[in-house]
This record gives sequence, structure tokens and C-alpha cells, in this order.
Amino acid sequence: MRKFVLINVVIIFLFLVVICIAEDLIVTSGVKKVNEDCMAIEELVDHMEDLRTMEVVMAIENLEYNWTKNESAMCYLVNHKSIQEIGLEISKLKGYLENNESNDFMSSLDAIKFYSHSYLHFMGASLHNIL
Amino acid sequence: MLTIIIRAIVIYVLVLFVFRIMGKRQIGQMQPYELVLTLIIADLATIPMAEVSVPVLHGIVPLLTLVILHFVLSQLSKLSPRIAQLISGKPVIVINPKGIDYIAMKSLDISIDDLFEGIRGQGYFAMEQVQYAIMETTGKLSVVPKAGYAPVTNIDLKNKVDNNFLPVNLVCEGQVMENNLKLLNVDQEFVKSFILKKIGKSAKIKNVLLFTLDKSGNAYLQMKGEEFKTFQGVKI
Repeated sequence: MRKFVLINVVIIFLFLVVICIAEDLIVTSGVKKVNEDCMAIEELVDHMEDLRTMEVVMAIENLEYNWTKNESAMCYLVNHKSIQEIGLEISKLKGYLENNESNDFMSSLDAIKFYSHSYLHFMGASLHNIL
Repeated sequence: MLTIIIRAIVIYVLVLFVFRIMGKRQIGQMQPYELVLTLIIADLATIPMAEVSVPVLHGIVPLLTLVILHFVLSQLSKLSPRIAQLISGKPVIVINPKGIDYIAMKSLDISIDDLFEGIRGQGYFAMEQVQYAIMETTGKLSVVPKAGYAPVTNIDLKNKVDNNFLPVNLVCEGQVMENNLKLLNVDQEFVKSFILKKIGKSAKIKNVLLFTLDKSGNAYLQMKGEEFKTFQGVKI
């Protein structure tokens, strides 16, 4: 019985370690990718009069594709409600692009960056988060 | 809805597994840290079960963390009596031959009524019947009665008695207990022939409610919907 318990405890410990590493890798890389894509879009649309260019459309498509791909993996580890705002802002971004509303477009882009930053901050094991 | 059903099954199996690892004490009298753990587990298990947006891992990870914590605390308790005392407390003698230890009673924050309740639970109804009463770390009161009030045993009466043997369940609700047959070195044929001999040709194993036998040959047999019968000197 003692051996059974000991084996289980070791397995559980390893499982927890794997989960923590997986969470760190998947969530950090997913959120960082979104952040990078947003920065790239920001650079692309800088001083642009008309947002409705092929490059911007492709960049938004790319952002959405990367996010959807990462989101499904993140849903195993993260509360869906905590990350749904990013998806919501991406769909808003597409609407602003269609209507060439550059101010709203930029603020939506900022919101995505803010959510991804804040999620990274709130996920880490810092004293602030623990307390 | 299917997600909730699957989550409920996953969490149920996991909690069952957690309790199996933690041992039987969780089900009966618990140490303080075990009680805390049980309360937390009950709460943790329900969160991912009903809230679909919460990943099931958010329930599983803390549950498994508690298993490790419990294991560590148990090991520490075994390692040093001081740590065990720190985690679980220590038994306190609340009644001694001089009477009720008022200071001990106050330190445990129990009243005379609580003390009486504990004593009555042990089958004693007057303080003068009790020599010692010890409040265990599980919150249970153990009572040592005064010699005059202690139950008379065969040793007191100097009676010669044979040791009791544990009755083994051979058939339970129509099912032959294969593992128990080995304990008495008997087989299914023995069980079948015994039932046929004692009940009659119409008897079938599936109609047996309970059939127990001990090593000294005492048997108890009850068919479903019938009165029980006992037999002595059954040859194994």
C-alpha cells in the first residue's frame, strides 16, 4: 500500500511539473505571438491614410489565424473568460478595417496588446498574484 | 451539457482516487489537517464541474497538489512526534482519578455538557464511573472506567474459552466470494454441496442472501426471503 501511495505521489508530482511547464510554454508563446503580430500591424499602419490595403488585411488575417490556433491550446489551461477579450477585439479590428476607422482600429490594437500584457502579468507566480 | 457530464465523471473518479490514496481515516474520524483537506476537496471538485469556462485542469491541479501536501504532512508527522503534535495536536487527559481537570477542559474549550456527552457516548452515565477520559486528537473521547464499573471479562471470571474465529463471507447476495474461499481452503463445490444438503435440492446459489463460515465450523446461512439458519461443527 505504501509503495502504491509513493508511486502515485511521484506520478502526481511529475504531472504537476509537466502541467506548469506546459502552461508557461503554451500561454507565454501564444500571448507573445499576438503581441508581436500587433506590433507588426502597428508598424505597418503607421502614418497610413487608408487602412484598406492588402498588407493590412493579410496582417489581420495572420493575427486572427495565430490567435485561433493558440487559443484552442490555451483553453485546456486558462479560464476561457480571461482570454476571450482578445478574440473579441480581433473581430472588432476587422470591422474597423472595413470602414477605415483608424482611431478605433488603433485603440482596438492597443486593447489587444493591453490584454495580452496583463494576462502574462497575471499568470506569473509573483507575490502580487499570490496575495 | 455533455461537457458537464464528462467533467463530473472525471472529477468524481479523481476525488475517489484522492480519497483512496489518503487512506480510510478520511471516511471516519479525521485529524484536523485531514478535515481541512476534505472540506477543501469538496469545494474544489465542484468548481470545474459546473463552470464550463473553467478548464477541468483548474480543478485537477489543486486537488493533486493537496494530495502531495497531505503526503508530505503525513510523512512529517511520522518523522517527528513534535511535528505530529504541531499538526494534529496531542491527546489531553480531561478526567483523572482526582476528577475533572478544569484547566485541561478550558484549554480544549469544551463544556461539562460536552464532556458528559462524550462519556455517555462510551456507555458511562456518571462521572464517578470514570477513572480517565482522554480527548483524542480526532476529537473523540476515550474512557477508562474505574475497576468496579469495567465490564466483566472471561479472564476476570477465570473461564476457559476458545478464541473466536472471524466468520468469512462465502456467498453474498447470490455471488460466491472467490477470494474468501481461499481463506478457508474450500471451493465452489463445497459451497454448492453444503447448500444443497442443508436447504434441499431446489436451493441455488443465486438465491442465497448470506452464507458465512468460520474456521471452527460455525456457519450462518440465509436464503433470500427466508429465515436464517445456523450450523455448528461444519467440517471444512
